[in-house]
This record gives sequence, C-alpha cells and structure tokens, in this order.
Amino acid sequence: MNDEFYIGWEAKAAPGIGKTLRKAVVCLLVLAVLVPVLLAMSQRMIGVSVFEWGAVKSFTGVLRTQPYPHLLVPRPGTNDYHTLQSVINSPASASAYHLVAPWKFGLDRASIATFDGKSVSLKGTLIYRGNQTMIEVMPDSIRATNTASTIGLPSVVPLGRQTLLGEIVDSKCFLGVMNPGHLTPHRACAIRCISGGVPPVLLVRQKDGPAIYLLLVSADGKPVNKQVLYSRA
Amino acid sequence: MGVEYVSVQWNRQKKFYDAVLVGGVAAFLVIFSVLTKVLFPRVTDEIMLIRAFGTGAFLLLHIILCIGPLCRLNPQFLPLLYNRRHAGVTCFLLGLIHAALVVITYHAGSDTNPILSIFVSSPINGSVSSVPFQPFGFFALIILFLMAATSHDFWLANLSAPVWKSLHMLVYVAYALLVLHVTFGVIQGEGSPLYVGTVALGLVTVLGLHITAARREVALDSESRLTPHASRPTESQSLVTSSPTEDEFVDACAVADISENRARIVCLSGERVAIFKYEGKISAVSNVCQHQNGPLGEGKIVSGCITCPWHGYQYQPDTGASPPPFVEKIPTFNVRVKNGRVFVHPKPNPAGTRAKPATIDGSSRREEAHSVTGNSESLVTLAATKK
Repeated sequence: MNDEFYIGWEAKAAPGIGKTLRKAVVCLLVLAVLVPVLLAMSQRMIGVSVFEWGAVKSFTGVLRTQPYPHLLVPRPGTNDYHTLQSVINSPASASAYHLVAPWKFGLDRASIATFDGKSVSLKGTLIYRGNQTMIEVMPDSIRATNTASTIGLPSVVPLGRQTLLGEIVDSKCFLGVMNPGHLTPHRACAIRCISGGVPPVLLVRQKDGPAIYLLLVSADGKPVNKQVLYSRA
Repeated sequence: MGVEYVSVQWNRQKKFYDAVLVGGVAAFLVIFSVLTKVLFPRVTDEIMLIRAFGTGAFLLLHIILCIGPLCRLNPQFLPLLYNRRHAGVTCFLLGLIHAALVVITYHAGSDTNPILSIFVSSPINGSVSSVPFQPFGFFALIILFLMAATSHDFWLANLSAPVWKSLHMLVYVAYALLVLHVTFGVIQGEGSPLYVGTVALGLVTVLGLHITAARREVALDSESRLTPHASRPTESQSLVTSSPTEDEFVDACAVADISENRARIVCLSGERVAIFKYEGKISAVSNVCQHQNGPLGEGKIVSGCITCPWHGYQYQPDTGASPPPFVEKIPTFNVRVKNGRVFVHPKPNPAGTRAKPATIDGSSRREEAHSVTGNSESLVTLAATKK
C-alpha cells in the first residue's frame, strides 16, 4: 500500500505525490496556453473602426442641429469658402460629420442652436468606420467663423415603406469608440448612450454586401432617442 | 498552523504554488491579449482586457472548483488544495479588474450612476439576448469579494469554522451566477460553437466531478454508519458479533481494519468519528479539523500527532489538542478494545479533553495478524476464536 502523505508545510512532497503534482502542473499550464488561444481565435470578426483618441483636430464647416447635430464639410478640392454655399447644397461635394459630446452624450442641441446653419470651426476627435465619420467635440470649442445665410436641408427622396430587420446601436460606439460596439455585451452601453442623446442607428446586416447604416429619425425629421429607449419591440 | 496572525506564512511549497498560479494567469492574459490584438488589430484595448480578465477568472474558478472533488477521489491531488485560497483571491482580483473595466467602459460617463446603470440599462423585451446578464456577474463578484475578504485564518478563527465554511460554500452560488452571466452575455454576442462548447464542457466537468465524489462519499458514509442500537457490520465485521453494549459503547470496527498510523472513519449518530491506530493504541477523535473542517480521518499520525491532510494542522490523538504552542482543539471520544474490536462511545467529549487511548491487547494483535493475511481460512479461525 502506498502510504505517502502530503504535508504542505514540509520542505518537500513525497516522491509519488511530487510526480503527480508535476503532471498536474503541466496539465494546468497547457490549459493556460491552449484555452486563450482557442477563445481568442474564435472571437467574432471585429470590424474596422477607428477612434483617434488623444488626437484633437480642428474642423470647419456648416453646423446643423437637425435631426441630430452634424457638420457639413466640403470634400477635398471643394473646400474653398467662396464656394461653400454651393458645396452645401450639393450632397456629393460635402461630407456630413455627426457631432457628439464626450463620454455617453450627444451634443446639446439647445446650447448650439445659435450656430444652426452657420459656418463654424470646432475642435474634436475623429471617429470613423467605413464611409461614416463622427467628431467627438471638445466642450466649448465651437466658434462661428462667418454668418452664412439660411441654408436649406438636402432634399428628401421618399423610398416608400420598407421593412428592415436589424440591431439598433448607438452611433458613437459602433463607429469606433468601442470595438466591438454592438451585440449583447454592449447593449447596456448603447442604452446609456442613446439616453444621453447619441444618435441611434439601425444596423441592417445583409447576406451579401456591407451592412446598411440608417440614422433613425421621426417622420418629421426629429430625434427619436426616447422612442427607441421605450420601445419594447 | 500558527500561534499569531501573519499575512501569509510562506514556505517553499506555497511559493511554488503561487509561482505556478501567477505564471499560469500571466500566460493566459498575455496570450489572449496578444493573439486578439494580432488577429483583430482594431479591437479597442479596454474590450480586449475585459475579455481577457473575464475569461481568465472564469477558467480559474473552474479549476478551483475541480480541486475539491479531485482530492476526494484521489488524495494525490491534495497539493493543489493546500494553497487554494490564494487561487481564490486571484480569481476575485481578475473578476474585479474585469468588472471595473466593464463599469468604466459601458456605464461610466452617462446620465445614470454607473452602478445603478448595471441594473437599469438592460430592459427585458422578451428575447433571450435581452436577459440582463450583468447583474448576475455583479452578485457573483460580491460573493467572491466576501470570500476573498474573509479568506485569512483570522476570519476563520473569529467566524468559527462552520460559519466560515458555510460562507465559502457560496462559491457554488457564485459559479451558477457566472454561468448565467456568460450564457446570457458573451455567448449571445459571440455565438461561436466553441464558446458554447467550452462553457458546457466546464459545467459538465465541475458537476461530473462533484457528483462522482459525492456518490463515493455517500457510499462510504453508508458503509460506516453505526448507531448505539443497530450496528451495521461491514464485510470485515461479518464474522463477529457486533451489538451495542450495555453502557452504549458501539462496536465500530475491527482493530485489523485500521492501518498503522492511519484511521478508519465511522459515522456515529450522524457525526463522523476518526479512529486512529498508533503505537499499539487506539484513539478516536472528531473527523472535523478545527481549521477548515478538513477530514482528519484521511490524515495520518506524523510525529505522534494526527495530521490533517488539507493543511497539515496537528492534534494529539489522546487529547484532541494541538501540540503547544498551538491552541486548536477537537472533541475526543472514549474508546475500548475488546477481542480485536474497537468500541466507541458515541457521545463526544468536550474539545481538548483527554480520553485514555485503548491498548491493543495480545488477542487483538493475533487477530490482526490473521486478518492481514486476508484469506478465508484465517477469517474462519478468527470466528472460531470469538465463539
């Protein structure tokens, strides 16, 4: 009969127990290597998105507050202030950068209402994914640069009633502040962001082709954050 | 064992244990993080770390939970149990870092208190993916915190071993909560069969080992259960009469059933009693170590003292008291040896009370010698002697 007995405070374990212990340690170390390899490799594909955290840049464009704050910026080659008016009225020649505040908040539309439709400069950090770009605006960095006259909203093209199945995400995290910034683990954060005024987006995944990214607004072009939060659909 | 409280009573084996523990955890975290960054360069650092620390804590908890039943099934694994508390505290720290990163990343900087947000930011809408999984993790972390905070022997001594043990049995509640946390959390998001399979395999392993160990324990208890009014003879007792004596001493087992310097555990009136044989004597003590309720009957007499297999706590077999200067005490039982059989009085003496060891008489020794041969002829001889 093997009468070996283990006492932890003794200097050394009995030979047979020591042998078993060495095997157990090897097994545990194999687990410590194998499990993270398998789990890391099995993660769902993480999209290409960027948050230029710490890189504050200056931007100039025309600020609009409806349906959500955004900055219309002339595209390269057309960023001449003398032709800005025409740039704005031609969607193909301007980029719309969504504007949000730091942390989990959208820009307070009431506090920037005086800039609506005007050319402004601001400082912020870029967030982008695919062809969507957002700026996290530094507090109190918005300055009027000229007094552009009233600028009309781009024309609306009705596409008819559609049925779409997708995931509502908060645009800020999904575009790059977090990656991945969607799916179940991110749900609570999306709710907090949308509650704080970050524009909600419907993400529609297609079998073929890239996901469609649709900004959610009401029928009359107003924000729908509250409706999204209290919807139980 | 110790006569004063120090943060950690380091010894060679504890250092080795912690080196393997820290090395394994570090390897896990580094491999997961580096590989994730290489495969998915755009992943944000905080989410990578949330995943690394979360999965690391969950795996470590599985290992911790498997150690107990493994040791029940094979005492050769007892070295893994020796310093398990350090593994438990490490598991809590990994979980704490995971939780802190989650709160900062997903809940801080919003229009709601970050802790309150854990409970109000996941309204249920009827779908599986809407089950609020984060509160499960929150409550599991609270349990792990209570366990880590009370892991030191100071709390064990002041709460008493049964209370401390009950508190630490909450680890199973924490594990159940974490299985729910993972099932309704990351598995819903990742959807990978490997993630589902890994969690299922972990659950089956933990449950399987516990059920196997419990069945064995029940079988052993059943075999060793004795009462003052109805002794249940075991195979080795089958050729001798075992009936309660007039003064309530219970026929517990044959002297020959006990190996030298080892014990036989019997169940007397619902309490496990460890009957030790050493230096021609028999002593009986409570099977429950005062330190962490370890099974003393699975221990051994070392240097004249009963030594607990879990952490090496020692007791003198006749008094149930730890050798000076240590102060731990366990109940003793009065014993007799007659005609090669051990009789135990089922009423325990107060902890630390000296109970005179029973001397193994000459006939008992002869019967022992016969029994060791293990053949039927010797058993028949023994039965004849009894008659």
